[in-house]
Amino acid sequence: MGNCLKGTSNEDISLLRGNESSSDNQHDVIQSPPYRERVPVYYPAPNDRRPANQLSEEEQIRIARRIGLMEHLPILAYDDSINKNKECVICMIEFKIGEEVRYLPCMHVYHVSCIDDWLMRSFTCPSCMEPVDAALLTSYDTN
Amino acid sequence: MSALPRRIIKETQRLMAEPVPGISAVPDESNARYFHVIVTGPEDSPFEGGLFKLELFLPEDYPMSAPKVRFITKIYHPNIDKLGRICLDILKDKWSPALQIRTVLLSIQALLSAPNPDDPLANDVAELWKINESEAIRNAKEWTRKYAMEN
Repeated sequence: MGNCLKGTSNEDISLLRGNESSSDNQHDVIQSPPYRERVPVYYPAPNDRRPANQLSEEEQIRIARRIGLMEHLPILAYDDSINKNKECVICMIEFKIGEEVRYLPCMHVYHVSCIDDWLMRSFTCPSCMEPVDAALLTSYDTN
Repeated sequence: MSALPRRIIKETQRLMAEPVPGISAVPDESNARYFHVIVTGPEDSPFEGGLFKLELFLPEDYPMSAPKVRFITKIYHPNIDKLGRICLDILKDKWSPALQIRTVLLSIQALLSAPNPDDPLANDVAELWKINESEAIRNAKEWTRKYAMEN
C-alpha cells in the first residue's frame, strides 16, 4: 500500500482503453515481416514492461541472476498422491499425472510456463507470497 | 481479438454458479473481459442499503497483472477518489495470479466495511475521516442515500 498517490495523474480512466499499448504490440506482430526478430520483453519491476534493449546494465544483471536462480527450482512430475492442489492456480487447468511441474521452496507447485512467466515479473510465490530468493538462500544454508 | 483464456472462462462460470454473497458480476455481452459489477453496501457500515456499480476489466496479460476496477457510483470513502479509482494494495503492488475476480471483489467489499484513512486516495475525505470521523460517516451515509439508492 501507500503508492496510490503516485501515477494517478492520468485522468483517462476508461478501463476498456487500458490495454492500448499491448494491442499496439499485437499490431506490430502482424505488421513486422517474419524475418525481423522481435526484441524480448522483460519486467525489471512488476508492471514495468520494457524491451531488452531499454534495460540498464544493472537491470540486465538482476534479470540474468534471477533466471539463474530459477534454474535451481526443481521440475518434477506431478503426483496426485503428494500434491494436494488439483489444478494450477495460475491457469486453472487441472494437472495431469506425470506432467512436469515446478516446485518453489515453499512446496507450492505450478505449471512450468505459468510460474516462470510470473517469476520473471515478481520473485514471490503467488500462493503464499514468500520471496523465492530468500527461501532459496535459506535452503542452501541448511543443506 | 485473441481467444479467451481458459482461466477467464472458468472464473466466469464459477462466479455464475456460486456468486459471492452481496456481489453480482456479469460479463458484458460484447466483451467477455469486461464485467458489470454491483456491490451491496456492507451491514453496519455507512454504505449499508446502497447498491454500488463498478466496472472491472481483465487486461490482456491477466492473471499476470491485476484486474482494473473502478467505482461508477459516487461514493464517499477515504480510499476511493472522485473518479472511482480504488486504493487497494492487491490491485497494485500486492497483486498475485493466485487472486481472482472473486477475491478482488471480496476485498473491495471489505474495504467498504473498514475504511483506511491513513492510506488515502481521496485526500479531503481521508482528512475529515481522521479529524472528525462522525461527520465523515454522516457524509458517507448521505452520499449513499443520494447516489447509491434507486428511487
